[in-house]
Amino acid sequence: MSEMSELKRQEEQAASNEHDTQKGKYMTFKSGNEYFGLEIQYVNEIIQFQTITAIPETEDYIKGLINLRGKVIPVVDVRLRFKQEPFEYNDRTCIIVINVKSMMVGLIVEKIAEVVEIKEENILPPPNIGRADKSHHKYVYGIGKVGNAVKLLLDPDKLLNDEDLTVMEQANDMILEEE
Amino acid sequence: MAEEFSTEGMLDMYLFENEQLLEQLQEMVLEQKDAECFDEDSINEIFRTMHTIKGSSGIMMFDNITAISHKLEDVFYYLRESHPEHVPHVDLVAHVLRVEDFISNEMEKIRGGDSPDGEPGEIIADLDRFLEQLKSGGKEKGVEPPPENVYVAPKQFYIAPVATSASRFYKIYIHFFPETEMANVHAYKAVYALKEVAEDLLYSPEDIISDAESAAIILKDGFRILLQAQCSEEEVRKIIGVGYDIEKVDIFECKAEEFLQGFDFGEADDPLQIDLESSVEDIEARIEDVSAEESAQPSKPAKPAIAPGDFVIKSREPGKQKKLAKDKPKGEKASFIGVNVSKMDQLMELIGELVISESVVLQNPDLKVPGLNLDNFNKAAAQLSKISTDLQNVIMSMRMVPLTNTFQKMNRIVFDVSRKLGKDIEFVMVGEQTEVDKNIIEHISDPLMHLVRNAVDHGIETNEERIESGKPDKGKVTLSARTEAGKVWISVEDNGQGLDRNKILAKARKQGLLDEGKPDSAYSDKEVYQFITYPGFSTNEQITEYSGRGVGMDVVVQNIQAIGGTLDIESTPGLGSIMSLKIPLTLAIIDGIVMETGNSSFVMETGMIKEFVRVKEEMMIHEPDGEEYIMIRGECYPVLRLGRWYGLTEYQESVEDGVMLILEVEDKKVCLLVDKLIGEQEIVVKPIPSYIKKVKGLSGCTQLGDGSIALILDAGGLIE
Repeated sequence: MSEMSELKRQEEQAASNEHDTQKGKYMTFKSGNEYFGLEIQYVNEIIQFQTITAIPETEDYIKGLINLRGKVIPVVDVRLRFKQEPFEYNDRTCIIVINVKSMMVGLIVEKIAEVVEIKEENILPPPNIGRADKSHHKYVYGIGKVGNAVKLLLDPDKLLNDEDLTVMEQANDMILEEE
Repeated sequence: MAEEFSTEGMLDMYLFENEQLLEQLQEMVLEQKDAECFDEDSINEIFRTMHTIKGSSGIMMFDNITAISHKLEDVFYYLRESHPEHVPHVDLVAHVLRVEDFISNEMEKIRGGDSPDGEPGEIIADLDRFLEQLKSGGKEKGVEPPPENVYVAPKQFYIAPVATSASRFYKIYIHFFPETEMANVHAYKAVYALKEVAEDLLYSPEDIISDAESAAIILKDGFRILLQAQCSEEEVRKIIGVGYDIEKVDIFECKAEEFLQGFDFGEADDPLQIDLESSVEDIEARIEDVSAEESAQPSKPAKPAIAPGDFVIKSREPGKQKKLAKDKPKGEKASFIGVNVSKMDQLMELIGELVISESVVLQNPDLKVPGLNLDNFNKAAAQLSKISTDLQNVIMSMRMVPLTNTFQKMNRIVFDVSRKLGKDIEFVMVGEQTEVDKNIIEHISDPLMHLVRNAVDHGIETNEERIESGKPDKGKVTLSARTEAGKVWISVEDNGQGLDRNKILAKARKQGLLDEGKPDSAYSDKEVYQFITYPGFSTNEQITEYSGRGVGMDVVVQNIQAIGGTLDIESTPGLGSIMSLKIPLTLAIIDGIVMETGNSSFVMETGMIKEFVRVKEEMMIHEPDGEEYIMIRGECYPVLRLGRWYGLTEYQESVEDGVMLILEVEDKKVCLLVDKLIGEQEIVVKPIPSYIKKVKGLSGCTQLGDGSIALILDAGGLIE
């Protein structure tokens, strides 16, 4: 618990400062073997794991809905989103509530790390070696160096929305192109 | 939109007020577009509206709006004062609408933070020409043009609707004691009091507010009022009251004709004009007689010529009434307050939360402890439930808005489009008083617009085509609304050519929407018509200004589905088509049955469920392909197992352990198997976050008493 409250404190501190000072700060978390970073301005709050109401017929990484003080928000399992092995949830599992384009979404992550500051010059574009598996690069827009470690920086918008075009929408697109 | 308003209070007020004025204006104009001319009320109203807009725009320094409203005001000033005959009514309507469009357009720019830079020159020039035309028409008839419209404060000048049979007419003379100070103010007090009951009111001297001289005249001659009202003489006397300053009040009842003659009694062949001069003479004549009250009929003074600049009141010509548009009964004026929609939404949300916390309290597990004496608690709880239900009903009714405005907009579209296309179209509205939740109205306005436009553009043939096919030559578009079974049905019906099945099929085949192996005849009409709701689908070869680009119907369907509605298309070739929207009355709070399947809770609207049945295994019929049916009392229903359908875990396999719900939607019935029922509850509908794409059969979610989330099942979606 102490780890969480420490994070909360850091986060609140960050939020209470001017918008400018939020710049360059990243919330990092562990998923699989890698560490990921999310720009702090997208992070609303961190909550404890709670009961999730599953929704049928959705992608496996959308775990369902939670009730956040009367607000219904969807939650996404980040590990499943990255096509990694699923993991057991326990009472130490946390949900990061992010706000992207005024849409609130909860991210279930394995382990929350810390808030770090990454200067712009330490952010590299992702290596673009012609690998077949390109999907991975869509939501990672940069690689941040912190000391010896690297954090994969996530574009939350793409994290949520990429390649989620439904079959119907794709069909529509095709029809429109034909027109 | 509301949030995007500039925060500057004055601008907000300006936009809000003028928007309302324009809306009323449009409604009034469209209501009378088919009449031969505007009635007097409307002319005054349009005049006043333009005057107000001009004034406020002047203050805000929107010069182009000021200029154009000034010009239209001029036109109506002329109409009001001169009563020109042979007004080209349709042109007049078009002019008014054009001005209204221009101003709305400019206001839209202002709201968007742009400066209103539209060029009104052309419209003003057109209006000038129109006014000239009116004036020249008037001159031929020998009517003197009215004095130029110079800006003076609006005079006290009331013209009211045509008398009803219950109206009575009075001549009232009020005499003040000669030592009364400011008799004009006292006189005004009487007028003010009478206004409450008056259907029509004239008084003399006219200018009692600003003209100090009038006090002297009133003292000398008395103050005279002509009143048309529905109350008795005693009531009138009571309203005026006998103050210390009033010496005597004489009230005479008179006939309507006398009343129409104003103060200028007598001349039956020319009852039209009165002016101050004659009034004064008239009253002098009367004062001599005043002791003999019975002989109230005054001697008839010679009718003086009207001096230029005199304030002239023309009363109604009796013969003119026939030409007026239908009279609108003026109901009691309710008082209204404008509230920001976001506040209403907030209130709604709070009440939603209240309903939820109420069920948290009332269904609290702590109460289930055996041996508790809960009598008092239950009484209090019942009271609480009653209040919260009432509260809900009130907020719901606050959000209910009649469809009138939306329908009026459609009226406008039919008018515009049919004029441009040269089609002669009658537009009929039925049930526009039907009330619908404000949120829903916002969502249906655009779809309706598309449907109406389509009906006018594609549905109705041109006049020539209609004559050729031997139809009565007027096209007709009917827009109707009604409430049925908790839903609102809105339909757009036209008596045009109907949908062309073959054309649609050909196009669908071209776009690859049809099954290759399936012959055309295998598609039902309903299926075929559904194709027109596909994106990019339009059978119209020519793209007109209004439709034919293939966007439209798909947007209509999307918007309607977004609020849980459906679109039905019916069509008879050669006779016309009917597009019916079926939409929920409200989106917010519904009665629902809570049930459980597997580990998930579901809710279904109570109205959707026909009955609950426990069934036995031997009632089931299994088809080899996995389809299941059930025989209940000799009827056969398809069976849907909710657990299997949604791929849940740990649900009851055996039908004997579960409960069957018989659902009925539009004559289609289905049996739904769930594990168990939990109870009935009022539920606050919340949308499923847009991030999650639409799941068939789910229409939303809600929070249960314990704070957990249940999914709301939509019977229509399940049956599909």
